[in-house]
Amino acid sequence: MTCESLQKRVSEFIRGVSKGTVLGSTEVAVGSLELIKVASSTCRNLFKEFLGDFIPRVVASRPPSQVVENILRRYLEEFVKLKAEAGFERAVDATQDIVDSLIRELDLVRDAVAEIGSRRIENGDTILTHSYSTTVLRVFEKAVKRGTTFRVYVTESRPIGEGRVTASNLSRLGIETTLIVDSAVRYVMKRVNKVFVGADAIAVNGAIINKVGTSAVALVAKEARSRLYVLAGTYKLSFETVFGELIEQVFLEDVELIIPKEKIQGLPSDVRVRAPLFDVTPPEYIDAIITEKGVLAPQAVPVLVATLYGWPPKIKSLRELLREVGEE
Amino acid sequence: MSHKYELPKEVIEIYEGIKNMSIRGAGKIAKHAVTALVKAAEAFKGDETRDFLKYMEYVGSYLKSARPTAVSLPNAIMYVLTKLRKASVTSVDEGKQIVASLAQDFIKRADEALKIIGELGSRRIENGDIIMTHCHSTAATSVITTAYKKGKVSVVYVKETRPAFQGLITAKTLAEEGLEVIIIPDSSVRYFMKKVDKVVVGADTVAANGAVVNKIGTSLVALAAKEARVRFYVATETFKFSPYTLLGELVPIEVRDPREIVDEEWLKENRGVKIFNPVFDVTPPEYIDAIITEKGVIPPQAALLLLIEDYGADLREIGTNTPTVWEE
Repeated sequence: MTCESLQKRVSEFIRGVSKGTVLGSTEVAVGSLELIKVASSTCRNLFKEFLGDFIPRVVASRPPSQVVENILRRYLEEFVKLKAEAGFERAVDATQDIVDSLIRELDLVRDAVAEIGSRRIENGDTILTHSYSTTVLRVFEKAVKRGTTFRVYVTESRPIGEGRVTASNLSRLGIETTLIVDSAVRYVMKRVNKVFVGADAIAVNGAIINKVGTSAVALVAKEARSRLYVLAGTYKLSFETVFGELIEQVFLEDVELIIPKEKIQGLPSDVRVRAPLFDVTPPEYIDAIITEKGVLAPQAVPVLVATLYGWPPKIKSLRELLREVGEE
Repeated sequence: MSHKYELPKEVIEIYEGIKNMSIRGAGKIAKHAVTALVKAAEAFKGDETRDFLKYMEYVGSYLKSARPTAVSLPNAIMYVLTKLRKASVTSVDEGKQIVASLAQDFIKRADEALKIIGELGSRRIENGDIIMTHCHSTAATSVITTAYKKGKVSVVYVKETRPAFQGLITAKTLAEEGLEVIIIPDSSVRYFMKKVDKVVVGADTVAANGAVVNKIGTSLVALAAKEARVRFYVATETFKFSPYTLLGELVPIEVRDPREIVDEEWLKENRGVKIFNPVFDVTPPEYIDAIITEKGVIPPQAALLLLIEDYGADLREIGTNTPTVWEE
């Protein structure tokens, strides 16, 4: 692969991320790291420029997906540290190893979250999940391996409809799986005793940002007194929210991705379609956030942040780190 | 079927039409039913008033048995027969005249109902209100367009309404009237509720306790509205109020074909996934601010009043035609 053809792959990847065809945010993070790894050899001469261009672009293509920003920050921190110790070229050489160890770490964290989360599943449970989360899938997989029997309802999770992918995966694990439209979530909630969802970001107040519809599921769970668990590694923490930043919304612009073509025909042209991709679930609707560090109340998120990163957390911005990468 | 009385051909045709569902829709069924009563009355041969009244009761229960789940059917028949009973008829001719004029009344009222509902409902809308609606309902549309013509409303959020996308019919109708229409995916209902002042929806059936049976997703909209302190109105003709629920019967919820949600191919690839596709859900009365009918705006808990006052709902009478096997 040449540096030019890599650029093409990068553009495709970013388009997929912003249109939501790359489904889970951890998948976006892993995909980004892998592109950086490839670039460190094929774009070696332009690597500095590659990082300066690619990193802000991929982060901006799905701002609420915190793991992307955090894992790229981790990469840049390692890179800058190595550069200071051994020089730029050595840091480029080490990129493959840094990336591999970060991907391994992501996987270990996800596995730890899933291990703890799966203990919350009991025989006879009826669980509901929304959207597509590799972490949640692994929770179910672990529970099945442990021999627990349970049923799962999956919402189709429009727009995009990635709930269908979740349903496919679950039924292949041998789980009794039922797919419903998003609108039917209140109807079935009476039969459900636990809800498991992933997260794109955890705000410092314990609110979670996830695929649109999650907050409606949470509201319905609260009404029906079903438990709602959020499964997310600590790499989903949004440090910026500590400093008052709001998490940016993303709208799906392509109308045909939202409503089938044949249904749009005949509509007056001034009818608009608005489809946000994310929503915010307030902490009071969440029973617990399950991280690799343990199960915590959403309101305890600042305690977690303080323990891991100090208070206020000392975190360098991506821009700052990229500047350090570029410094002679 | 052997008849105690010789019934005219038109009456049997209407009975058959309602039974085999070639006569469909709450309004059409009701109007055909009272027309059948008139035809039957006209065909009565004899001069004993008592025989005539007995004969009419027989025709009434015969017609009601055509489709036990269509609530507008017993309502239309009760509307005529209760008033006939109370009229202290002295001759057969007078009885025939009363049936004809009551039937005319009923049809006129049904025809005018949508206009009156539009007018009464629009009074509940305030200047500058932003409205949300779900599915397609002519009564709800009537309220919104009447309010628009009074200059009160300009923006309406219309939910797509999966699986069949009936929201698009509403979007088209409202946009053609000149309203600014924004179509949103069902999953984003809670996200957009903060931007909305009032919700107006229709009804398929109204239970005696004021619970509203309507297109799947309605109860979720109502819950999200309650949470956001947004007013939630149901616009419906009174012939959709169900007398059967007085006897504690549940309103049956139809479950439809999975292929409305996913296509044949997906089903083949995912044989392990069940699809649950309920058509309606039940919105509890405590989430409804008012039901807007052609007989006035009422709190949902007063639904019983209209059933008794208007349709002469009587526990003894409706008990005779109550179906016995219903599902949630």
